[in-house]
Amino acid sequence: MADVAISVDGVSKRFIINPHRRTSLKERVVRGSSKADRQEFWALRDVSFSVPRGVTLGLVGSNGSGKSTALKVISGIYRPTSGSVRVNGRLSALLELGAGFHGELTGRENIDLNASILGLSPREIAQVSDKIVEFADIGDFIDAPVKVYSSGMFVRLGFAVAVNVKPDVLVVDEVIAVGDERFQRKCFDHLFEMRRNGATIVVVSHALSLMEDVCDEVVWLDSGQVQARGDSRAVVREYLADINAGEAAKEGESLNDSGRRGSGEIRVTDVTWSVDDGPFERASVVAGQRVTFRIEYEAIRDLENAVFGLGFVNESGISVAGPNSGATRNWSVQRGRGSVHFTVDRLLLQPSEFGISAAIVDRAHVFDYVDRAYQFRVRSSGSDEPGLVQMPGTWELVPAGERMHR
Amino acid sequence: MSRTLRDDSARTGPGSKTPWAYRFLILNFARRDLKARFKGTALGWLWALAVPITTVIIYSVVFSLVFRAQPPPMGNGDTGHYAVWLLVALVPWGFFLNAMNLAPVTLLASGPLIQKVFIPAYVPAVASSIAVLVQSGIELAVVVLLLLALGNVSWTFLLLPAWIVLFIAFTISLSTTVAIVNVYMRDLAQLVSVVLQLLFFVTPILYPLDLIPQEWNGIPLRAIFALNPLASFIGAERDLLYGLQMPSTAVWLTLLGWTAGSVVVLRWVYRRWGLDVSESI
Repeated sequence: MADVAISVDGVSKRFIINPHRRTSLKERVVRGSSKADRQEFWALRDVSFSVPRGVTLGLVGSNGSGKSTALKVISGIYRPTSGSVRVNGRLSALLELGAGFHGELTGRENIDLNASILGLSPREIAQVSDKIVEFADIGDFIDAPVKVYSSGMFVRLGFAVAVNVKPDVLVVDEVIAVGDERFQRKCFDHLFEMRRNGATIVVVSHALSLMEDVCDEVVWLDSGQVQARGDSRAVVREYLADINAGEAAKEGESLNDSGRRGSGEIRVTDVTWSVDDGPFERASVVAGQRVTFRIEYEAIRDLENAVFGLGFVNESGISVAGPNSGATRNWSVQRGRGSVHFTVDRLLLQPSEFGISAAIVDRAHVFDYVDRAYQFRVRSSGSDEPGLVQMPGTWELVPAGERMHR
Repeated sequence: MSRTLRDDSARTGPGSKTPWAYRFLILNFARRDLKARFKGTALGWLWALAVPITTVIIYSVVFSLVFRAQPPPMGNGDTGHYAVWLLVALVPWGFFLNAMNLAPVTLLASGPLIQKVFIPAYVPAVASSIAVLVQSGIELAVVVLLLLALGNVSWTFLLLPAWIVLFIAFTISLSTTVAIVNVYMRDLAQLVSVVLQLLFFVTPILYPLDLIPQEWNGIPLRAIFALNPLASFIGAERDLLYGLQMPSTAVWLTLLGWTAGSVVVLRWVYRRWGLDVSESI
């Protein structure tokens, strides 16, 4: 059992939801005990998995699927209603950065306090204290009360404490997505380093591509039950497919669903794409390939002037590109079904997950707009440059002597 | 190091680590409470002594000057000083009062933390009582120095540590129990502060127990007053420090009984409710 860091065995967690919970003596006396109208909610049902030492495990699932409850049960904050959880080694939970900070105390005093919350002895605290101060990198503020900290400084110090206490098991809720870019990078570098040093990490995040990159294994929770577990890519893909299927089903049953607006004289019925002149489907694309997008539509009357557009929105919600037909031509569209093609000779998007929005408009009038209805995945072509888009260009080394002549 | 959580057995539950394993954390919390309390005040720690000193002055003036209460003579045979006699009892009372009032508040204030990190529910409660203890310890040291200066010393002083251990264990168990139950019944703390007010006057602090009639309308009044655990604890301390008498074996057994009883109640309450505090706080 020495190589198992966490074992979760048949864990169920029940919450009692009581609309008229008696939280005061008076209510108990006056209205009596209230067992009658209480309702049960099972946040986890018979969940089992184990995490080998040194493995990074991700938990995915929609909101309310039990991810956070699972983290809290692993961290010992909640007691399972049945089943058992076993954690070998020191566990550090990062469910909220700086949860144990006290506003009146200085950063340094809070380091001592927080480190002891995470289970360090005074001697161990003395050993890591300087490292934490250095990692947090907040200068002289370390000796000021944390109530005067900016939220960024607060988070830095919280993260610095949590990762520098050398946990054997680190439990991370979606808290890393805070702080400035530089600090985020530092956090990730540190997580990777901890992973290399054999720490076991359990992480919850909605950023699925991140989960695929960071995690070795993923457990997919749905309504408190394990839906799938195993290799991160496989499980994330399965989960995504399920989400898309669910959304497609929703679109089928209601024409006026959320994320869709417009007057409806003409509607987008499908968006597919063909890679290097292959079949039209929704396959993933490698950066640099030739891609033809097909927007299928159905018009209920003839239209004088229709402009077709596509929007590429990445996971952070940034609209990376928005090509539309308005710049080149005005189309009049006949009543009935039809399609429009948009061809990109070389796709210059960097690897990421995009949501494709499609729109049909006439100047300011919107016939139809579907928001991020189609998942578009750009895979890496091998050379990984940072950024959202590729920037083709030519590099040239200019010898020092030549610069004078220019 | 390994931790197992289980529903069916509290022995392997989050409480599988003994309170001893959390001693550093408890001390750190206590330190936090103390630092936070006096930070930003001009006189800092001196405030810790301000309340007991004013209390003694007020009660001494009212009772020895206005009501002309006669304090019992000191253990060394000298005439009694009402203020000294009162002070000896006020220090443990102050500890009990503040511990009972602060523990529920401190536990509730730790709610956000308890929902995010695993900490046994008794840690903040015990820590707040320990922070109070530091203050009361200083007061007690002042009292002992005062008695030394008055020449009221005897070997009974040597038994004081035993009394202190029992009284601390009794008080902290009780305050922590109230703090945990208060999470589920939020007005318990209010009820307790009302009871404490009453308790101050039915406990022989301002007056000696002898002043209570043996019998009143057929009711054995003094025996009833003596049932109060604080009457036993404070009476014993007064014997040790002021009267310089060895409390009887029966008294010691009573103190031991109250202490053991309150520890057992705390254990039961913690296992019954304390492990799920994070859900209700």
